[in-house]
Amino acid sequence: MTAAVQHAGMSRRTNAEWLAALQGGDGKDAALSDLRTYLLRAALFTLRRARHYVGHLGSSALAQLAEDCAQESLTAILQRLDTFRGQSHFTTWAYTFAVNTALMAGRQERWASVPLEEVLEGTATPSLAVGNPAGIDPEQHALRAEALVAIREGIEQLTVKQQQLLRTVIFEQVPLDEVVRRWSSNRNALYKLLHDARRKLKSYLLARGFDVEEILDLFAVRA
Amino acid sequence: MSTSNYERLLRLAARTQEQELSCTECFDVLPQYVDLEVAGAAPERQLPLFRQHLEQCGVCREEYETVRELARLEAEGRSPSIDDLRRTL
Repeated sequence: MTAAVQHAGMSRRTNAEWLAALQGGDGKDAALSDLRTYLLRAALFTLRRARHYVGHLGSSALAQLAEDCAQESLTAILQRLDTFRGQSHFTTWAYTFAVNTALMAGRQERWASVPLEEVLEGTATPSLAVGNPAGIDPEQHALRAEALVAIREGIEQLTVKQQQLLRTVIFEQVPLDEVVRRWSSNRNALYKLLHDARRKLKSYLLARGFDVEEILDLFAVRA
Repeated sequence: MSTSNYERLLRLAARTQEQELSCTECFDVLPQYVDLEVAGAAPERQLPLFRQHLEQCGVCREEYETVRELARLEAEGRSPSIDDLRRTL
């Protein structure tokens, strides 16, 4: 990617020119100022879009949060300049930092005061009542019930941590970042924990004679 | 507990791969994927594991969607001004 991107009042720069300036070449101050503007725009845009997280905050608090996120992402970018490989526009790469920082801040605003101890520390597998909808023949109903038992047992053979994470993130739809924060962990580690849980569950169901796609078909749910 | 929770879990399990990108790998690929997409290329062919990660990871998916919107607006010369963004917070 070599095409330059320009905004009103800012210099047009190629990726190489961004890097050269930010690494101490001519025009470093101007490049820093322009980059900070890009990041502030991205943080404001992100927080405005993420009303589901920050809708309870007033406009001045949101503007301040955006300023903080822009500053934090600027610091992160300057520390990681040497990792930019030029496979995208420099500005798109920079936006990724600002958006990540602003969404993490927004998620924390939304979830920090929500009590999650019960789901995060609990060990009970949620029960599921098997209904008997009209039009389902007895054989299909029995198959459905058998599949649900297998799913439940499949969840129970996961580790306690895997069950807690699966319940919180997949069932309760709490953002992974919030669990990362509460468990003092990191995204990669928790994503791996969930990945292992999904693989284990899929294998368990297969060993019990259920292909996951077949279960979805049984309940007429398309993956 | 509703069946929809189990359905969500099964959909995710059905699309589980032996090898998946980590969130850090997804973060690193994201700008390249977005720029290819905004340019009208077909990045899913070039970077298939990225899309698979997004199906599994809500936080990465939300970040991707936001960066893609920003990059699209920029490519179309319609990036919002900081003043407009502040006014509409």
